Formats: sequence, structure tokens, C-alpha cells
Amino acid sequence: MKALEVKNITKRFPGILANDHINLSINKSEIYSIVGENGAGKSTLMKIIYGLYTQTSGEIYVFGEKVKINNSNDAIKLKIGMVHQEFMLIPRFSVTENIVLGQEPKRGIFFDRKTAVKEIKEISDRYGLKVDPLEKVENLPVGIQQRVEILKVLRRGAEILIFDEPTAVLTPEEAEDLFKTLSFLRDSGKTIIFISHKLKEVMAISDRIAVLRRGKLQGVVYKEKTNKQELARMMVGRDVVLEIPAALVKRGDTITSVRNLTVKNNRGIVGLKDVSFDVHSGEILGIAGVEGNGQAELIDALIGFTKPVSGSISLSGEKVKSINPHNMRERGMAYIPEDRKRRGLILPFRIKDNMIMGQHNKKPFSRNGILNDMEIDSFAEKKIEEFDVRPRDIYAKAANLSGGTQQKVLLARELSIWHNFILAAQPTRGLDIGAMEFVYKMLIEEKKRGIAVLLVSLELSEIMGLADRILVLYEGEIIGEKKPGETSEEDLGLMMLGLKKKEKVV
Amino acid sequence: MILKKLFSRRKEEYWWMTIAVPLVAILLALITGVIFIKATGRSPLKAYKLLFGSSGLFPSPYWKNHFAEMLLSSSMFISTGLAFSIAFKGGLFSIGAEGQFIVGGIVAAYFGYAEPFAGLPTILHLIIIFIMAMAAGGIWGAIAGWLKTKKGIHEVITTIMLNWIALYLIEDWLVTGPMKANISTGISGTPYISATAKLPNILPGTRLNISFIIIAAAVFFTWFLLYRTTIGFEIRAMGYTLVFGMEAPKASGVNVNRRIIQTMFISGAVASLGGSFIVLGILFQYPPVFEGGYGFDGIAVALIGQNEPVGIFLAGILIGALRTGATSVQLAHIPKTFPSIIEGLIVAFIALQELIRYLIMKLIVPKRSKSD
Ligand SMILES: Nc1ncnc2c1ncn2[C@@H]1O[C@H](COP(=O)(O)OP(=O)(O)OP(=O)(O)O)[C@@H](O)[C@H]1O
Ligand SMILES: [Mg+2]
Repeated sequence: MKALEVKNITKRFPGILANDHINLSINKSEIYSIVGENGAGKSTLMKIIYGLYTQTSGEIYVFGEKVKINNSNDAIKLKIGMVHQEFMLIPRFSVTENIVLGQEPKRGIFFDRKTAVKEIKEISDRYGLKVDPLEKVENLPVGIQQRVEILKVLRRGAEILIFDEPTAVLTPEEAEDLFKTLSFLRDSGKTIIFISHKLKEVMAISDRIAVLRRGKLQGVVYKEKTNKQELARMMVGRDVVLEIPAALVKRGDTITSVRNLTVKNNRGIVGLKDVSFDVHSGEILGIAGVEGNGQAELIDALIGFTKPVSGSISLSGEKVKSINPHNMRERGMAYIPEDRKRRGLILPFRIKDNMIMGQHNKKPFSRNGILNDMEIDSFAEKKIEEFDVRPRDIYAKAANLSGGTQQKVLLARELSIWHNFILAAQPTRGLDIGAMEFVYKMLIEEKKRGIAVLLVSLELSEIMGLADRILVLYEGEIIGEKKPGETSEEDLGLMMLGLKKKEKVV
Repeated sequence: MILKKLFSRRKEEYWWMTIAVPLVAILLALITGVIFIKATGRSPLKAYKLLFGSSGLFPSPYWKNHFAEMLLSSSMFISTGLAFSIAFKGGLFSIGAEGQFIVGGIVAAYFGYAEPFAGLPTILHLIIIFIMAMAAGGIWGAIAGWLKTKKGIHEVITTIMLNWIALYLIEDWLVTGPMKANISTGISGTPYISATAKLPNILPGTRLNISFIIIAAAVFFTWFLLYRTTIGFEIRAMGYTLVFGMEAPKASGVNVNRRIIQTMFISGAVASLGGSFIVLGILFQYPPVFEGGYGFDGIAVALIGQNEPVGIFLAGILIGALRTGATSVQLAHIPKTFPSIIEGLIVAFIALQELIRYLIMKLIVPKRSKSD
């Protein structure tokens, strides 16, 4: 039986055809993946199905019936649910309150908490999604928050569940849990639409895979009859080398050094304990670890968002006296934040504005405090060409760009600001393989130029492929240093879980 | 060439909404006004004829005078409207224009009559007065910015408190104490300013003075500041990322705290212009009791003008016109507060702008896409 069919869906934005006559037919109890480059139109299509956008033309059929979906309430009534990437949860509310919000069980006119809690326990048991119904959402890790989000969708009776890049924010362990959930949901009769840039994930869980390219449907393939290479070729239109080329560079002087750094997080708990390391010119230093083991505290201290409790940071060989972002930037730090929407881009600004943010007060972009549009425009034009930003329109708002394109704009900007040290936190989050390859190339180029790079990533393969040295963070401490050649992902994995004792302290 | 460039940049979908929404809101307010007047059994046509006839917006008997009065009062509304919007663009919700306005007024009065300055040539004298008034209004605003960055107190609270402090300081102390006019002159309030401090007239036969030219320049300045300078770039970046704690500009090295204080200073300085206008161009002294409210009307003006300098300029003229025409509606047996009701209605409809946007889309967009 067909759960969802879209016929000839077209969506036109000014200057761009985001969806171009797309036809999909999705069976009930199927995990249907959609892959495609950044800006291929995946999110747009999902937003149309969920009623957040209206298609320019085309039809949608749900369980065989032609429907018109004007807003997400319509979608919910048709049993379509969407697990958003930015969770729409209220941090101070409990799990139960968040799930029932908008459709609370009532006794008389009062909120019936007992029934609600019981109900949540019931669904959470039924689908094997373990949560504590009384815990406040703000105390939950991202993976569990996502579970709450899924429960919310299920409680509203969703039969068709849309997941737009759900794994981008998850740790590999959390992703594993999610996949178990997805398979279970499929086996209990739900239909899943799954979007991801990680072909490994797609190959692991899908039944069928649809490939989009520049708004058009390239083809639909059965998982069994394809492989990663073929998918990549369909997506990008050429062969993609997923291997990271080795680059031997003689490492130079110390650029950045961190000494005995102890940092408290915003909850007042010491998250980073007495950490010391150096990053040299021409070197990529990888920081591996399970999320929440001090990475955030380290990054916040390095960019200057939090003042360390003790310890020091030196940049360009000079100790930074007053730690704040301005001083860090002045001393040559480029920063690729993991949360590009929050810390990277200014979403209502145009591409050209975002391109110069941070160097807007330098020549030639401004003189005596007055912006020079001619220079800004020609710089931005050059950069969108160089980084293949689509659409090629420097006046497009950052908010209207696809997730991966936003990341490209951010990279283009950060790498064009004068720097000798790059703090890269999850630089490939949300990027398609082509763009990922591009980022790796950029980072290696930077390294060859003698830039020092600190790469904080949850992707072990990324760290293993790029880094010259790897430090493992566990519970806020560095519990080991390895060279990629001397270790394996398994070995590192064990260290990350704290199962291997301190090996060599820097 | 430049025009072509300007227009080809308007790539955004539905950019004209910013203009359409306030226009529709104004129209809806006027229509609601008709219903109100009808309900009380009077003639809407007559009322609007009187109101707009004597507002200076349309030609009528004594048009020149109405027009001059309208521009004169518009200047004040534009000043506080700009002040609100400058802070708002930077993500600051400043209610402080009221206080900054009267601080500007009292400082302008002082430097207008104080001895060492009273003999200077007009131009020089006025420049000194405006610098002093703007500095004082600016500092009044900057205090709120400083308290926000140093102590984390929200600007809504501090600006309201500063409004009261300014009011008591001026009316309960300065005007009745150190700055009180000599009893023998028979004047209540501060002494009158010297002739060299009076704003030069620009339309003989009316009261219109250079205040309107100054405020037009301020509108241009505000636009230039916000859209053409690096400070404005940072101010807008801050406002846009308010919900994210301004993290993106911070991470790019913007000294957000300093900018908050500066933004509040500029906002306060612009609000103080209005207070100076009223003292230097209309009252020629600071009276014992000041008929205030310009600060709060400024918020309405900024809302109607969609927080854009040009919009505020037009909205200020509209509110100025309604106020100028206000007394005339009494001839149609309608209380002179009626124009204020219209103003309130406009703001109420602006508050419903999402709804208006939605309706406009419903009405217009399907037709467009069919022709697509
Ligand atoms: N609201 C909008 N206004 C204008 N253009 C838009 C809007 N939303 C999306 N687009 C454009 O439509 C195209 C498709 O975007 P979409 O977000 O669907 O891509 P995507 O496949 O989800 O990419 P990613 O993998 O990077 O998330 C992009 O070029 C984007 O710039
Ligand atoms: Mg997307």
C-alpha cells in the first residue's frame, strides 16, 4: 500500500527552482531515504509535505487520497509528523508537559498530569523509547531530546514520520539508538522518510533510496542493489573520492598553546580539568571524545566566550591576557562553530553581509567606518564562485540557504579572515560528500600553508583521516595522545569511553 | 544607473509588504474611525474633512499655517521615533525617549539663557546648545546601556526608571530651584532663552523653523548610520541575533557591550533633539510643567514606520498631522481626542500585522501565481 505519493511537485523560489517536477511513491512500513547534495531540495520537499511551504504546482496523495496541505495542522490531521532538526521543545517543561502540550488530557478544565504521565509511559514502552516522563527537558542530552520529539509526533498519531538530518546533532552512539528506533517503528507499521548526508547510515537502514540533484529526482534505488559509490555518483554527477589524501608537512613552531586550562561550564560545573597542549604550524591536532566530555568548554574558552577558572592560552606565541573573542580574533584565530545558525551566521543578513562579518571594519571593506559596497560585492562574488555557493546570489538571505550552503558561506568567510590558527568544531556537520571532500581539501591546504588547526569532531573517521596527532578527552581530561598510524578506531573508541587508562599525559 | 542598481537589489520576495502593511493598517484605522463616528450619530465625512483639512496634509484655507504647524510637531515625533528604532535595531527595547527628550529640553534651555553663551552669534550658540543637549540625552540613554552590560538589568526597567528620575530632577528641582526664573520677571519656569538661541524661521508668516531641516538630516543620518557604516552593521547584527544572545556577532569579535552603550547613547542623543526643538523653537523656555508623551508616541511612530528611517519620517508626519488637525474635529462635535483614537487604532492594526500580511497574501498571491 502506498503511504505517500507526490506527483510533479515543483517549488519555485525567486531565482531558483528548488523542486522540479518530483515524483515519489513511498510504501507503508518502509524506510525511505532521500539523499542529495546541499541545496538539492530535500528540506524544501519535506516542508511541502509537512505544510510549511506550499508547492508551486503538483499533487500530494496520502494513503491513496489526494490532499491539500496548507499548514502543519493539516499535515498532523493526515497523520504526517516531522521531527525537526532544531527541536521545538520548551527547556523548562518536563518531558510529559512537552509531549502533551497543545493536546493535554484534562479532567474538567484542569490539566490531568497523572493521566498524561501514564500515557507517556505507555507510548514510550510501546515503542521502546525510554524516557523519564518527569525529567525537565533542559537536563536531557540531545539524543534523548530527540526521543521526546519523536514521542510527541507519535502521540499525535503520526503514521508517516519525516526525519530531516536527525543524525547531524547526534553522537555516533545516539545515532545507533535512533536507528534501532527507526527499524522498530517501521516494523510496527510506520512509514519513515529519512534524510542524511552520511551514506553509511543511509545504506544501513533504508529500504529504498531516492536521489535528488539540483531540484530534480535522479532516481530511486533499492538498498540491496546499490552501494555508496553509486549513490555518491548519482548525487554529485561524478566520482567522489571519499578517502582523505595524506599530506606530509613538516610541523613548525608552536602557534597555539594551552596550559593547565580549567574551565567551568554555564551550569557552574568544572567541565575541563587541567588541560595542556600545543598546536604547531602545519599541523592538524584532533580532539576526539564522546560528546559532553569537555569539548564545549574547551571551545568556549579558546574563542573567549568563557573565562577559564585557571590556566592560560597563548596565540601566535603570546599569552592572551584578557580572554574575549575580540582579542582571540585579533591574534589570528579563525573559528568554525558547530552551531552555525547560532554562532556562525546572522540569518537575516544577506550572503554578502555574512561574508564580511568580522572583517567588515577592515580595509578594503570599509574606510573610516563607512562600508564600501563595491569592494564587498566583488569580494562576495568571488567567494561564492570559489566555494560553489548556490544560488549564486550575494543578495540571498542566509536564512534561505540550505543547511550545507550556510556552512559553505561560513567557511568561505572564516578562511578569508587573516588567521594562523583555525578552531574547527565539527566543520563538516550537515555537508554533502562533495562539500565534505572540499572542506577536507581546504583544511589540508591550510595546513600546507603553515596554519595550525585544532579539529574537534565526533566523527572518528574524520579525525583519523585528517589529524596528525589525536588527543582523547574523557570527563574533561586528556587521557591520551595517539598518532593515527599507531591506533585504530576501536582503540580510540575504548579510550573515549574511559575503558583504557591514561596512557601518555602531555 | 544608481537607480537601476537600487532596484535590481530588491530581490527579496514580497519586499513591498513593509510598505503595504502600514498602509493597510492606516486604511483600516480610518475605516474603523468612520464606524465609531457613525455609531455616535455624527458625520464621518465632515469629521475627516475638518481633520485633514486643518492637518496641513491637504490644501485648504490657511494651508500654509497648518502645513507649518504640522511639520513643527512632526519633528518631535520623528525624533523620538528614530530614537526608539535605533535602539530597537540593535535588539534593545528602549522606553527611555521620554526622559531623554526632557533632559535635552532642560539642557537646551539652560544653554539658551545662561550668560556666557547668550551673546554668541546664533549659529555658534545653536551648535553649542545642540551639542550639549545631545550629549546629555545621550548620556541619559547610555546609563541604561551601561547598566545592562555591567549589571545585566534589562533596559526596559532602567529606561523607565530613568524617565522618572529625569522628570523629578527637572520639574521638582531644577525648574523650581536653581534654574527658576527671577521672581521679579513674573515668569514661571526657567528664564526665556536669548534671541540668539531661537531656531531661525524658514517660512515667513508661520512658526516653521529649522527644526524640520535638522530632523530630516537626522533621518538621513540614521539611515546612513544603520546601513552604510560598520557601527550600523554591527548594531543590526546584534538586533538580528538577540534570541541567540548575540553570539554570532560576539564570536566574530564584535565588542557587543561597547556597542550596546553606544547604541543607547545615539538613541538618547536623537531623542534629545525633539526636546531641544520644543524649547528652542516653540516654548523658548522650559515650563514648570511639561506636557510630555512624545517619548511614548515615538514608539507608535516607530511601529507604524516599521522601524525604518524613511518610514518613521512618514509616520511622524502622519502623527504630526493628526495632532495638528485634532482641535478642528470639535467643529463636527467630536472630541479632540479622536485623532489619538485613530493613532491608537493604527498601532493596534500594526500589532495585527501578521494577520494583515496573511490577508494580503490570500488576496494577491494566488492571482500572481496563476499568471506565472
Ligand atoms: N525560503 C526560501 N527562500 C528562498 N530560497 C529558498 C528557501 N528555502 C530554500 N531555498 C533554496 O532552495 C534550494 C533547496 O534548499 P533545501 O533547503 O531544500 O536544500 P537541502 O537539499 O535540504 O540541502 P541541505 O542538504 O544543505 O540541507 C536552495 O538553493 C535554497 O537556497
Ligand atoms: Mg536541508
